[in-house]
Amino acid sequence: MMGIIDLSEATVLRGRSKVLDKWSISVNSGEIVCLAGENGCGKSTVIETASGLIPLENGSATISEQLVRDSEGRRGRPNFGLCLQDDCVMGDEIVGERILDAAGFDFDVQGLLKNWGLDHRIHDRVAMLSGGQRRKVALLSGLVPAMISETPVAVLLDEPDSGLDDDSIKNLADTLRNLAAGGHAILVSSHDSRIIEVSHRVIRFPFEEEKFDQEKGKFTLIGKGNPRKSNVGHRLNQRTLSGLANNGIAGLLTLGAMLALLDPTQLEGRILTAFILAPALTAGLCGNPIHRLSLENRAYAWWSTKSAIPQNAIIHSLILCGGLTFLASMITSGFNWQLILSGAILGAATEAVVGLLSNATLRLARPNAVMIRLLTPILILPWALVVDTLTA
Amino acid sequence: MSAMRASDMNIKGEVVAMLGFAGAAVTLWLGMMWAPSVSISAFKAPDAQRIFYWHVPSAWAAMIAFGLLFIGSIYWFFKRSDWAWRLHVASSEAGLATGLMCVWSGCIWGAAEWGVPWDWTDVRLNTFAILTLLSLYLVMGRRSQPDGVETRDTFAAFGMFGFALVPLTYIATRLWQIRHPGPVVATSEGSLNSDMSIVLFLGAISFTTLTVGYVMAGMRLTKLEMRLEELQGQYEERMK
Repeated sequence: MMGIIDLSEATVLRGRSKVLDKWSISVNSGEIVCLAGENGCGKSTVIETASGLIPLENGSATISEQLVRDSEGRRGRPNFGLCLQDDCVMGDEIVGERILDAAGFDFDVQGLLKNWGLDHRIHDRVAMLSGGQRRKVALLSGLVPAMISETPVAVLLDEPDSGLDDDSIKNLADTLRNLAAGGHAILVSSHDSRIIEVSHRVIRFPFEEEKFDQEKGKFTLIGKGNPRKSNVGHRLNQRTLSGLANNGIAGLLTLGAMLALLDPTQLEGRILTAFILAPALTAGLCGNPIHRLSLENRAYAWWSTKSAIPQNAIIHSLILCGGLTFLASMITSGFNWQLILSGAILGAATEAVVGLLSNATLRLARPNAVMIRLLTPILILPWALVVDTLTA
Repeated sequence: MSAMRASDMNIKGEVVAMLGFAGAAVTLWLGMMWAPSVSISAFKAPDAQRIFYWHVPSAWAAMIAFGLLFIGSIYWFFKRSDWAWRLHVASSEAGLATGLMCVWSGCIWGAAEWGVPWDWTDVRLNTFAILTLLSLYLVMGRRSQPDGVETRDTFAAFGMFGFALVPLTYIATRLWQIRHPGPVVATSEGSLNSDMSIVLFLGAISFTTLTVGYVMAGMRLTKLEMRLEELQGQYEERMK
């Protein structure tokens, strides 16, 4: 019978070394398994492989009998709790909202935060918190899917105790015990004796296993309300105006520079169409504004376990690029709905492609060093073809 | 264990590349000095047309390099072969070199014949330039990262998807002839003079030889780099 968390025959390469070689682990309902061992022994690799963040050379990872990732590249996104070594929380997320997003349902978040001494911070941005408080938000994001579920949920925690004070670590150990009593399966990596003491199994790398009988905790289910649509990209964009500050300004600068060089009343034909559509193209070439925000604390990794689509604010981009095209159109030839619609779609599509290209390099050790912009000139071609088509 | 192996000293690739280089030099000389001129009524800048003997063979060689890049990328991705990764590395460098030769010579001819060096609406021009930029991206990007499976997977994926532009580039002038001239070889129109064909054929052979030699030499150098890194790792282990 399969456990709730299953890694089967997993082979994983990191850098130039094979960290896991046909390694298997199964965590059953109601069980806490602790991974212990010195730094660099592979604990984080196990957690990240089980959560689907690292590709497998062989084998598969499943949670609640649903595929997370396998060596053929197939990927699923079942419901589970995750707290990585990095906090994976963007500085502009609001504490209360983040916990609700992690849960996927509305519930009394104030009560939960009170237990962890964070209720007075419920409306604050994560960037305003101390390191320890931010760690608690990351930890609660990993625990909350199990806290609100009657059915067994997998919880994967990578050194959740780092940066926490003694009382919080004790609270964490009690919470883990209580979640296990509720039938949830917990895979945690830790060096802390208080976490090790509540575990049913301790695996010391390289692969010595000890089993312990544990005192049973008491699980208290947190009642949940309606399912919640996260739309975190749009919310963040609205809060930070990142799209306007990056993409919008680039588009306006392009328009301003062209106005300084060209007389809009003298433009006609292809040049006029190109003039009107150029600001939207420039705005699009700046890429997904949420992508930059999600690089903070490696937040993109956590969100990628929740959704296959990277966080974005595509509706805002459509409006922004449409607005820029409207402005350029009104300055030159007057209102033209066909051009405004084309500008909106072209700019948003360009932004999405640049975002996807940037996303493709996130696995690299230095994703910011690869000069992805070298590939963006390809996006001038569709723009030029649209200009030609609309002029004809 | 000796740090050097007999295969490390094998310079076949360099010899082949030098032969190709000599052939390319002869092609350039024949193209400029011996090949017949084109009709002055057919071209605005008939003299500039001679750059065709450099431009077309370099484009041909670039396509071979991009093909090898695709093979190396796909083989690394699915078989995790070090040989395939070396092919990816060497062919991306060869693609960059030959691609730049082609783009640069095309710009010179375009400036003389069309009055502008570039046309952003021409599909052939732009897809080929993107392929060259892809090679530049692969070469520079790889140098910015530590070697490892994550680096190899990412760049191999770009190498594989980038190859989609090769058939698009090839058929571009057949589907959308915007500014770039259509094919002059292997077409029913047969518009190429026989002396021109000889020089062009020599150019194609020479540039192919140069590319193959460069890829062979590049693969050997990459192998040496990988061995050096391995030896450095062993040395550091021993020092612990």
